[in-house]
Formats: sequence, C-alpha cells, structure tokens
Amino acid sequence: MRGRVVPGGRFCGGFPRAVGGALRVRRFPAAVAEDCRSGERRACAVSRRGPVMAATAGDAGAAGAEDGAAGPVRDGAETGEPGPGAVEAPPPALPGLQLVQQGAEARVYRGSFLGRAAVAKLRFPKLYRHPALEERLSRRRTAQEARSLLRCRRAGIPAPVVYFVDYASNCIYLEDIVGAIAVQDHIYSVQRSGSDASSLLGLAEKMGQLLARMHDEDLIHGDLTTSNVLLRPPAERLDLVLIDFGLSFISGLPEDKGVDLYVLEKAFLSTHPDTETVFQALLQSYAAASKKSGPVIKRLDEVRLRGRKRSMIG
Amino acid sequence: MHLTHPLELFPERSVTLLLFNRVQNAAALRKKAMEGSIEGALINPAMIVDPFQVLVAANKAVHLHKIGKMKTRTLNAEIIFNLSPNNNISDAFKKFGISDSDTAVLIVLVVDREKMVNLEDIASQVEGQQVSLDELPQLTDIAKVKKIYKITPQEEKIGTLLDGIICRISTKDV
Repeated sequence: MRGRVVPGGRFCGGFPRAVGGALRVRRFPAAVAEDCRSGERRACAVSRRGPVMAATAGDAGAAGAEDGAAGPVRDGAETGEPGPGAVEAPPPALPGLQLVQQGAEARVYRGSFLGRAAVAKLRFPKLYRHPALEERLSRRRTAQEARSLLRCRRAGIPAPVVYFVDYASNCIYLEDIVGAIAVQDHIYSVQRSGSDASSLLGLAEKMGQLLARMHDEDLIHGDLTTSNVLLRPPAERLDLVLIDFGLSFISGLPEDKGVDLYVLEKAFLSTHPDTETVFQALLQSYAAASKKSGPVIKRLDEVRLRGRKRSMIG
Repeated sequence: MHLTHPLELFPERSVTLLLFNRVQNAAALRKKAMEGSIEGALINPAMIVDPFQVLVAANKAVHLHKIGKMKTRTLNAEIIFNLSPNNNISDAFKKFGISDSDTAVLIVLVVDREKMVNLEDIASQVEGQQVSLDELPQLTDIAKVKKIYKITPQEEKIGTLLDGIICRISTKDV
C-alpha cells in the first residue's frame, strides 16, 4: 500500500455512524471485522505484485466479489476504504447530502431532490475492473435496477419510487422512505428486547406473501437479505418495502426462484441466530401465497443439497 | 402565485410554473408555441396531477439537454415528451400539449437563475386569469390520467397515483 492513506478503517468492522432517521446499514459481527482486516492484508499482498495492482488495491476484499453474492459478510469485508474510484465520482449535488453507506458496488446518499426526501445510489467507477467491463456492468446494473423497480410498481409490489436515472454517471435517485428500518435491525431489536421468536411470525408471514407475489411476477431479486427489506414506520404495521434491485433479473424458472430463496435463507440464518422457526413460517407463507410455489420449494430443497461439504449423491 | 423550484443537480437552473384558467386564446397560444415566439412549454393541466410531475420531467429534459441526448429538438418540447409514457413525440404533444379548445394552460419555464425572466410579459400574452398552482388538482382529469399512464389497480394500493406516474416518466427509456 505504498503511498496510500488508509483512513483508519472507517467502516471496516465498525458500525457506520447513525444518520438521523433510517439506519439502513449492515451490522457485522466481530468475526467479520477480522476478515476485513485480513482482507486488507490480502489486498496488500496483491499490491506488491506490481505497480498496477498497487493503485487499485484500495477496496479491501473487493477483488473477486464482482458478481455480488448475497450475505452481510461480504459487505462487511468490503466497506473498507472508499478506494480510488471515490475521487473520480463526485457525490450528487443534492442539498442536505449525507453519505448513508459505502458498499463495494455503490455509494448511497440521502438528500433532497426537487423538494422531496430522496436517496441517490451512485455506482462509482471501479478502477480494478477492466474499463470496457466497467462501463457496461455499471450501466447494466443501474438500468436493471430501474427496470425492476418499475416492474415492481406495476405489479403492486412495494418498492421505492424512481425519481431520476442518470445513465451518464450511473446514479439512480429514489424515494427515501423516511423513518424506515431494515428488517435486519427490527429482528435485532426484537431479539434484544428478549421477546420470543414467535413475535416475528407475523413478519415472516408478510415476507412470505411479498416474495410470493414477486416471484409470481417472474421477478428474481438476486440479493435477498434482511437488510434489503425495509419496514415503513410504524414498524408494527409490518408494511414492507423491497429495495436494492441491482442484481435482479426476469426469470420464470423454479431454479432461479429457488436460489433466490436459498440466498435469503442463508443470509437470514447466518445473521439471525435461532430463527429457524421464523424462516420456516416464511416458507410456509410463501408456499400458500404463490400459485407456482410447488416446484420452487422442491428446487429449494435440491439447492440446499449442493454447495460446500454437501454430498451430491442422489 | 407562480411556483418556482431550483433544479438541485443543475445549480444555475430553476423551473417556474404558471397556471392560467378561463383561457380564451388557446389556439393562438398553441400557434405561438409552435413558432417558438412564446417562452416556455405549454402543457395541458388536465394531465398534471402535481407540480412534482412537471419538475421530474423538466429535470430529465435539462439533463438530456446538457449531455446532448434529447429526443426532440428543443428543451420545451423535451419536457412535454418526457411527460408522456410512450415514445411517440407527436402523441405526446397531442395528449400533453395544449389543444385549441383548452380553457386552462400550464406554462413551464426553465430559467437561468441570474437571468431575470419577465413573467408579466408571458402572462400578458395569455387571455385568461392567472391562478395559483394550488388550483391545479381541480383541473386534473384523474380518469384520463389513469388511462393514459395505464395505472394498474394493484399500483394504487402501494402508492399514490403520482408515484406511478413518476416511475413511468423516470424509467421510460430503460
């Protein structure tokens, strides 16, 4: 890391400071902090290979995580230093601008747009990517996100309103749902207050129904985690809103829907311990609400049998 | 009485809306607009649900104008085109521009903040009464708006009519 200033691991392993209002951030357990720091060291090792790498070894752990697999761990490792792309992508000029979260993929800001509370999601240039890929990927993800948000709206699936899409800088301006909290934070607070997981069953049922509606529209979210589902205030109303459609696509295949649910399952169970009953309830609600759920659940069971340390017999 | 809002992403520009009711010379105004002798875009207020709708369309128009990627030839035409849910320019003018028989007109101006724009000058060309933008909801034809934007019944459950319209305006070209 010759000559590079490491800003003291601002986001690495810690909690981004609360920005008054919705705290739409991922929390990372302490173990991940270790990963993050070791990720930095890994990036350093990479940088020693040559001058090119040194300049681009900024984002800790970012190398290799391009397709954005779901899971809080990945985000934890990568919200390290902003990286060189930060200099070239100026923040949008909105009044009251505040950085909400810096991820590997994009920077999320809050501000006022045409008199309304808005969120600006800026997919900044990643210098570690090949330039030809860079432009195409960022633009495709931005466009895909906008398209999916429109599709959600048409189908009656709650998602933020799109105010403006800037294809020149790959920045999307969305409605800011003021006071919303992520389902992740809601579950944390419910568990912390000592309540039983059974108080989360209502939430599970609502989530199952919402995902069923989304999959029935053949819309695959691609990055289903509890931090990508928001609860409008007041939280008791269980008014859910889906966000972050950058990895979404259209597909009718039960395989894709099964994988979507599997991603959620993995993220859910790894972030929230002792919530197996809650996720079961979610799946039951999904199966009841979706007309095409049979093959999807079957596929989900098959997908569970794949992966690391899983026997592929059968 | 008029409404002015700055465009945050374009620091030197602002959008001003003027609403007129009981307009007698819509035909003459339309002709002037086509010739380019009147400043601003002339819009049919029956298709506008809220000034925010116009602001979003104007913001997009200014952005495309700045990067040279407008679909129409002038900024004012682009604002009207952006309001339309489809990509047919003449259809956009027919539905969102003013027609000869209209009795209400919404004039939208994109101005540079330092430049003094003479609003009285524009208002004097309209044979009608200038009214506050608060009266806009009374002039809106909600049924027609729902039909033109093809708002689905499921959509109305998760948000307002305005939300659905804004989504369509902003994601039309994706």
